[in-house]
Amino acid sequence: MTREGRERLAQALAIVFVAGLSLALREDDFALFLVARVLIVVIACLGLNVQFGYAGVVNFAGATFFGVGGYMAAVLSRGTGVPHLFILVAGGIAAALAGCVLILPVLRTRGHYAALVTIAFALLFRTFLEVNDSLGGPQGLKLPELRIGPWRFNEPIALGRFEASFLLNYVILALFLAALAFALVVRVDRSWIGVQLDAVRLDETSAAAFGIPIARAKITAFTLGNFLAGVAGALSAHMVGFIAPNNYSFGESLILVSILLLGGIGNPWGLPLAAAIVIVLPEQLQVIQEYRYLLYAGLVILILLFRPNGLVPRPLRRLGGA
Amino acid sequence: MITARIARVALATSFVCAAAQAKDTVRIAFVGPLTGGNSAIGLGGRNSADLAVRLRNADAKSKYQYELVVLDDECKPDAGVQVATKAASDRGIAAGVTHYCSVVAMATVDTYHRFGLPTIVWGAVLPDITYKNDYKEIHRVNGTMINQNDTNAKFITERGYKKFAILHDTTDYGKGHDKYFTEFVKKYGGEVVADLGVGADQQDFTAELTQIQAAKPQVLYFGGLTPIGVRIRAQMDKLGLNAQFDGTSGIVSDDFIRGLGPLAEGVLAFREGGPAEKLPGGQFFLEKYKAQNYPNPPEAYGPFAYAAAVLLMDTIEKTGPDRKKIIAELAKVKGRDSIVGTITFDDHGQNTVPAITKYVVQDGKWVLWEESEYASGKRKLAGK
Repeated sequence: MTREGRERLAQALAIVFVAGLSLALREDDFALFLVARVLIVVIACLGLNVQFGYAGVVNFAGATFFGVGGYMAAVLSRGTGVPHLFILVAGGIAAALAGCVLILPVLRTRGHYAALVTIAFALLFRTFLEVNDSLGGPQGLKLPELRIGPWRFNEPIALGRFEASFLLNYVILALFLAALAFALVVRVDRSWIGVQLDAVRLDETSAAAFGIPIARAKITAFTLGNFLAGVAGALSAHMVGFIAPNNYSFGESLILVSILLLGGIGNPWGLPLAAAIVIVLPEQLQVIQEYRYLLYAGLVILILLFRPNGLVPRPLRRLGGA
Repeated sequence: MITARIARVALATSFVCAAAQAKDTVRIAFVGPLTGGNSAIGLGGRNSADLAVRLRNADAKSKYQYELVVLDDECKPDAGVQVATKAASDRGIAAGVTHYCSVVAMATVDTYHRFGLPTIVWGAVLPDITYKNDYKEIHRVNGTMINQNDTNAKFITERGYKKFAILHDTTDYGKGHDKYFTEFVKKYGGEVVADLGVGADQQDFTAELTQIQAAKPQVLYFGGLTPIGVRIRAQMDKLGLNAQFDGTSGIVSDDFIRGLGPLAEGVLAFREGGPAEKLPGGQFFLEKYKAQNYPNPPEAYGPFAYAAAVLLMDTIEKTGPDRKKIIAELAKVKGRDSIVGTITFDDHGQNTVPAITKYVVQDGKWVLWEESEYASGKRKLAGK
């Protein structure tokens, strides 16, 4: 079997696994909530993976772009009659556009400086939200139910004898979007764009010498990544039904980056596993109450100590087929 | 004869044992911020609710064995909705004592309503939580910031202060306080000479304080929580700003005094609810709390969490762990005595008998105003 074939099989198996798990848990609202959250975070981290892993563009404002998507969704679904499926896309577009503000400074800076630019942007965004009363200020905004055509997301599912929690709706949509995003990211990596991004990340000078347009490669990766984060943010906002600046703090951005590191930077295959650990583990540790983050942080450090390149490190690219 | 007596005793004993064993376990949830900037209050509330459950379990007369399921909302709406879903969708949980942070309490009301979980808010003060919906599930034992600021404004203007500067954080909490304090202080004849918002995690307040200093206020009213309250009071001192510091319920915590040391002296603050140590059962609460050796103090809102947990368990004793019946029973709560004063729920589930307690810091302690040396005239507030 070719590598491509193996990957397709693995993708299909992953989808079947999540779908099967969700069906088995269809009555368990909380488990479905967690599954949906993991899937949503995977979508956002796939975006960051394109930026950090492929193009080498650092972005410490992941939660900010996630938040731009969420706020776009809130504003559109509260104030307009735009179809909700389009709202999810609009969330992505808004995040991509917000990212345009940063393109110039990101292109001009490298390493620590680029990191600083994105951190500054994240802080700016949060302050902007807090003083902006039309966006709910610090108290945030409530979102209406998500509807796509006749499909109402906040109604429990009842098809004949099959009954399930309303959250299964969100899991289905999140799984669909995550699969789509995953396929997109894997294909970008495998295409000539991916090769260009690799070249830009590893050595800008030689990439330029080979005639690769560095600025274009970086802008592509940065925008695509923000788009995915924005779509994830819009979906998350609808599922939680409430958004406030507290959700999009710098700390949340760091959590997204830590999922990326834990999964293995540049390899989308590690992300679902890492996201599941980072989201489900602190939840399972609720029993130890205030000490849970301590233990959780310790575990993450241990994992990185023994697997410094993440749980599923990126394999070497082999050019020229299987 | 003797055999008959033995048989009777044995029978009685077995009944008692059977009753003890047959006690069903009822689970109630506690949700609050256990990690992050507001964790001190959250842990105090958690311990207090835990104390209520322990005391009830030690009581042989109670019909059920209670178990407290503790969940951390991190003071973030998305984490809050997540744990709210966890608690509310778990049919084994009968009711909940929920939320200190207003933003989280606002985000979760829909979830509780959807799953029909009866909850009693133990600390969040935003009026909208109970008044902006018709959800029968949501109740609140503490008063709202409206009552608190009315009392505060009246009290402080009666002390002869006329010029006020307001500094508030830009969260719902700070903004709400700003709105209601401004409203009431004007009503009582005060003048607001400066009104500035600051970030909830801001470090340096030199710019704002310098601006305030230029306006020469007699009182600096602060609407916000302990962490920045400490910084603002300390930086006032550095700049030589000598206004009376007048705070809200957000700074009534032991951390505030610990963070400032002698600088905390003379700071005023107001809190919803009667003073625990003066109310029936309050002294009992404080003693029992001490006896449990919790590593953290109950903080200002601990008594509310305790009162909410006790109220829930009293209700469950009557109705059994049936969510619908608990909600129906809670709607009837009127004139119930508790360690935070009388509780009467209106048709929004809001406690309408909000006693407001006035505090002043004296010798490193929050002292009731009426008992302080400031009230007796032995010590003077700033500028008096």
